[in-house]
Amino acid sequence: MSKMTPYVYVLPCMLLLGIFVYIPLVANFYYSLFSFSALSPMKLFVGLQNFRTLFNDSVVGTALINNVWYCVISVAVQVFLALVIAALLEDRLLSRVSTVLRTTYFLPVLISMTVVALLFSFVYHPKIGLINAALKAFGMKNPPAWTGDPKTAIFSSIIMSQWHSTGYTTMLFIVTIQGISADLYEAAEIDGAGRLQRFFHITVPQVREMMFVTMVTTITGAFLVFNDVYILTQGGPGNASTTLAVYMYRNAFNLDKMGYASAIAVLMLIICMALALIQNKAFRSGKED
Amino acid sequence: MKKFALILAVVMCLSVCISAFADQVTVRFFHRWPNEPKLSYLNGLIAEFEAENPDIKIVTDQVLNDAYKEKIRVLVSTDDIPDVFMSWSGSFANNLVKSGRVQTWDDLLAADPAFRDSIVESQWPPFQIDGKQYGVPWSMDGKAFFYNKDVFAQLNLSVPTTLDELYAVCDALRAAGYEEPISAGFSAPWAVSHYLGTICQRVVDPETLARDYAGQGDFTDPGYIEALNIFKKLGEYMTKDPNSVDHEFARNAFIFGEAPMVYLQLGECKYLRDDVDFDYSFFNFPAVEGGKGDPGQLTGAPEGMMISNVASPEVQEAAVKFVKFVISQHGGYEMTKQTGELSCVKGALDETNLDAKQLEAVQLILNSTQPALWQDNVTDAAIADAFMAGGQLLLTGDKTAEDVMKDVQAAAASIQ
Repeated sequence: MSKMTPYVYVLPCMLLLGIFVYIPLVANFYYSLFSFSALSPMKLFVGLQNFRTLFNDSVVGTALINNVWYCVISVAVQVFLALVIAALLEDRLLSRVSTVLRTTYFLPVLISMTVVALLFSFVYHPKIGLINAALKAFGMKNPPAWTGDPKTAIFSSIIMSQWHSTGYTTMLFIVTIQGISADLYEAAEIDGAGRLQRFFHITVPQVREMMFVTMVTTITGAFLVFNDVYILTQGGPGNASTTLAVYMYRNAFNLDKMGYASAIAVLMLIICMALALIQNKAFRSGKED
Repeated sequence: MKKFALILAVVMCLSVCISAFADQVTVRFFHRWPNEPKLSYLNGLIAEFEAENPDIKIVTDQVLNDAYKEKIRVLVSTDDIPDVFMSWSGSFANNLVKSGRVQTWDDLLAADPAFRDSIVESQWPPFQIDGKQYGVPWSMDGKAFFYNKDVFAQLNLSVPTTLDELYAVCDALRAAGYEEPISAGFSAPWAVSHYLGTICQRVVDPETLARDYAGQGDFTDPGYIEALNIFKKLGEYMTKDPNSVDHEFARNAFIFGEAPMVYLQLGECKYLRDDVDFDYSFFNFPAVEGGKGDPGQLTGAPEGMMISNVASPEVQEAAVKFVKFVISQHGGYEMTKQTGELSCVKGALDETNLDAKQLEAVQLILNSTQPALWQDNVTDAAIADAFMAGGQLLLTGDKTAEDVMKDVQAAAASIQ
């Protein structure tokens, strides 16, 4: 086997990644220094003007706050709550119903986000929606407008997203928990450890690697979220539920400001990379204690 | 010998065909109607045209709305521009004309005044840019308040002609138990721009408005604040939480008699036809007291056809012939009959291709002084966007009219 053989094997993958990920990534940095529309024959070099606009744009601030809300709630639900649900489902107490529950929690994952968002637009509808009908039945006179009120719009979308995605991370945790050696639990039980102690001292440390993975994907997902918001609220009312990705899309394709949209994309990339690095350090992933 | 005769025959046939093709002029026509029944209508018309003009061949290409918008803008900026193509009026037409490849119609119309006079007068100006005529209007539309005639008759209400009368009608309807007299759905922001465009047109001085929309003004006229406040006040009579209701739902609330008024495009008549079991009619947005704009204008813009100026003279001549064929009494009549789009050719519309409501709609358009273009078409996307986003938040109380105008002013400054 020549020295070159391994490189030949990775070549197709590197080529594809290079063409579809890394070259566009670098090109995006380049484009963010220009002002141009999709159809303009020439690009106008503006230096860092797009970034100056970016830092003074109040909508970017709103979008960032919305992304942070998405991130915080998603981590709480899709990482921590999902782990608790997984531990519960793997507990002997629920062994009879766990198969049914596992499937129930996992089902929403199989539905396309587009369908889910259309579905929830009915659930949230102020006139014919399930939620407000229920609230009215309980005697609430002025139930919230959900997607139509700037204060609740982003949370309507976040709640929908949790409903859709928690089943997936729960399933990942279940698989990991099933891989933990039963000896550990047995030994702990003999030593007199209760359910909570077993959870905190055996389950949590053993699923650490999986927590890292789910956390990275959840946080990155929260900063890149587009579909959910775009279909449910289009970022409205006003710009109240806009996220960075939605704002980027609108700048690129509705307002025809390609350079500015590229600058927003650069901001998103920096945020995601920084967060991934921080997590990598915090979890000391891949190293055994 | 037989073989030779055969080859000879084939060659002769071919040469006859080629010479026939050589005399034929090919016109490339690009349109946005790949969907039925519109496609069959156009194909039928093209077949008729080709039968009448055996020396002209029409080659079509078609894609649906959004794809069309993108594709035509790219094509126009190249020498591959189609010979005949469709265009919306307003800023869309303006963008195409900027390419310098769109032919003006001024000389052509001067040479054929009969053609110019065959089209509804008020539909020409939306295709005029810098005083030149760049497109020929094809179909027309308008936005009006649809009202439930039965409810109005029952409560003895008459059609409001001023804004104060409209408020009074709303109050009366509310007193009669209609909590939300005007059905509205603004979850898609363009619905906001239809209201704001009309109100701004009624209130703001037309010259200031045109300058501001063109990106040469600063939107500091106090009329805009007044217009936004009118919208906010009207909002109090509209569907509660309109930002979470979509336009179709709002229309259906009217159709099923839950709300006695709704602001719709006249083209939407076709959705009402089968489901409405009450009598309805429509009125133009009422005049605003003290407003500087012409209250006779009707918001709504024509669609039209353009031709390229880079094609050879023979092709251009054929293209003009084709446009005149499509936008003729016959072509217009068939369009309205087969597709429901309202033709803007005089005499193309009558009770044989329109129902009673559509005839009334046409009358409303003809009675208006001229079309006021859609706000989100007439001005830059950033400005229109600031109006739409601001309008939504104005209704929820999260922004004041002054806040909204600050955003609009910032948007206007950003594009200068």
